[in-house]
Amino acid sequence: MARHDSRVGYGLPTLLAVGLHVLVVVMSVISLPSREPEATSSSVVQATLVSTETTTDQALRAEEARARAAQRQADEEAAAAEAEAAAEAERQQVEEEAAQRQAEQQAEREAQQQAREQERREAEAEAQRRAEEAEQQARLREEQEAAAEAEQQREAEAAERQRQAEEARRQAEQEAEAERQRQVEQQAEQEAERQREEESRRQAEQEAEAEAERQREEEARRQAEQEAEAERQRQAEEEARRQAEQEAEAERQRQEAARAAAEAASDIDSLIAGEQESIANARQAEQAANSFQNLVRNAVEQAWIIPAGSASGLEATLQLDLLPTGELIGARIVSSSGDGAFDRSVIQAVERASPFREMRQLPPAAQSQFRQFNLRFRPGDVR
Amino acid sequence: MNDSMSIPHLIMSASTVVQLVMLLLTVGSIASWIVIFQRTFVMRRAKRAHLAFEERFWSGVDLNELYRETPSEQETNGAEHVFRAGFREFNRLLPKTRSPQAILDGVQRSMRVAWSREEERLNLHLVFLATVASASPYIGLFGTVWGIMGSFQSLSMAQQATLATVAPWIAEALIATAMGLFAAIPAVIFYNRLSSESGKLLGKYEDFAEEFHSILHRNLQGRGDSDAG
Repeated sequence: MARHDSRVGYGLPTLLAVGLHVLVVVMSVISLPSREPEATSSSVVQATLVSTETTTDQALRAEEARARAAQRQADEEAAAAEAEAAAEAERQQVEEEAAQRQAEQQAEREAQQQAREQERREAEAEAQRRAEEAEQQARLREEQEAAAEAEQQREAEAAERQRQAEEARRQAEQEAEAERQRQVEQQAEQEAERQREEESRRQAEQEAEAEAERQREEEARRQAEQEAEAERQRQAEEEARRQAEQEAEAERQRQEAARAAAEAASDIDSLIAGEQESIANARQAEQAANSFQNLVRNAVEQAWIIPAGSASGLEATLQLDLLPTGELIGARIVSSSGDGAFDRSVIQAVERASPFREMRQLPPAAQSQFRQFNLRFRPGDVR
Repeated sequence: MNDSMSIPHLIMSASTVVQLVMLLLTVGSIASWIVIFQRTFVMRRAKRAHLAFEERFWSGVDLNELYRETPSEQETNGAEHVFRAGFREFNRLLPKTRSPQAILDGVQRSMRVAWSREEERLNLHLVFLATVASASPYIGLFGTVWGIMGSFQSLSMAQQATLATVAPWIAEALIATAMGLFAAIPAVIFYNRLSSESGKLLGKYEDFAEEFHSILHRNLQGRGDSDAG
């Protein structure tokens, strides 16, 4: 029986479920793009109102660009001035440092010279002292020798006296002679000794002198070296200074070139901006003229109270005279509708709607165009 | 809204784990909808069949004729199944015992078995719906958390953290939660609806079983009286 065939398979539900999901996915993919054009189209509808703002924006942007360019120039100049000041300060610093270094070196050199002189003086003093000491020693030695000699002589005399006492007269002459000879020999020896001592003293003196001379020579050499080095340092400093100056000069030149390039670029920019501005101004004037006309018409329409009994086919043309500020000077009926109440209502509407402050925002070209213009009124426009 | 923020693009550019989560949720959603459609059809047919059977049962037809009219055990369901099971047991027990209480007990037991089979049949796969309803928001949330973790990890490399760099990641991660909710909400609604419907139907079967039981009881009473008299 068909009524009992109530077993439900899974084929149809599967199909339905997959179909549902595909539908959901398709909806989510398709509905999103379709929503976007609506949004843009709604913004397109408001374009007439927005457009004036955008044009003023363009002009503003051009002005801003100009201001920015000016600022950039000023910034660059300031930066260049700063750089120059910094370079000068650096140069001054370098000079000061060099001067300081020179002063220090001079002071050092002087100190060294003083030290050298002191050393020389000390060396001389020491040499003198040494010589004196050598002399003293020699003197001491002489005295000792003299004492020894005296003793020896005394002993020799005692021996002689003994021998004289022993041999008395026999050997007196011989002994005296021998003694004389011995004395002569001793004297010769003493003299030789003295001479040796003197020589040694002289040698010591000479050595001291030679040492002193050597020291002096070394000092002189050292001085010369130091002077040479100082000279070299001075030259290096000068070179460094010259190099720094050259670099600063190059930097300045480079900066000037960059500034010139930037100025040229900004000139082009400003030219482009000016052109864009003029184009924007023209477009703005046109748009503003249209929008101003629309604005005046809307304002007047809103302020217009149409007389109740007026016929539908009536038409009146009105001439408006406006000040540049948008204030109404006068409104005259150019072509009357034939209905006095209607004409009066039109004039009242214009007076009520004035002043048209939007006039001030118009470009000068459009302003002169709108100093005097006609408006045509038809009730059909409003209703 | 640009092309990079469209939903298919976001899904395709998601990380592997998030994509797996999305796949799982899509499969769960499709399966739950299969169950929803299948159960809805089953319920509707069972309701219709029950109405038709009750109408026939109470139309005053002879029970033996009704029993003969109905098809075999396997193809019946609902109240018809209950009736068949009870009546067959009644006919079998009637020649074997003289005690009406024993016969009624046997009939009641067999009808309870049939009823419980019906309950099982009606509630088939509803547990799956309940599982999808309760688990898929958590699975989606897991995908979102994972995606946002990835977005923050990639954000740590970036120099500037603007909204534009974070937004695609978070939108992509949030799609997982959206899909989890998309799978869970119909599952919850239809689970409640289907389980209440099946409960209602089972109540009707029970009522029918009681009524049938009372009819058989009445018959036995008469027979017992005639036997006694």
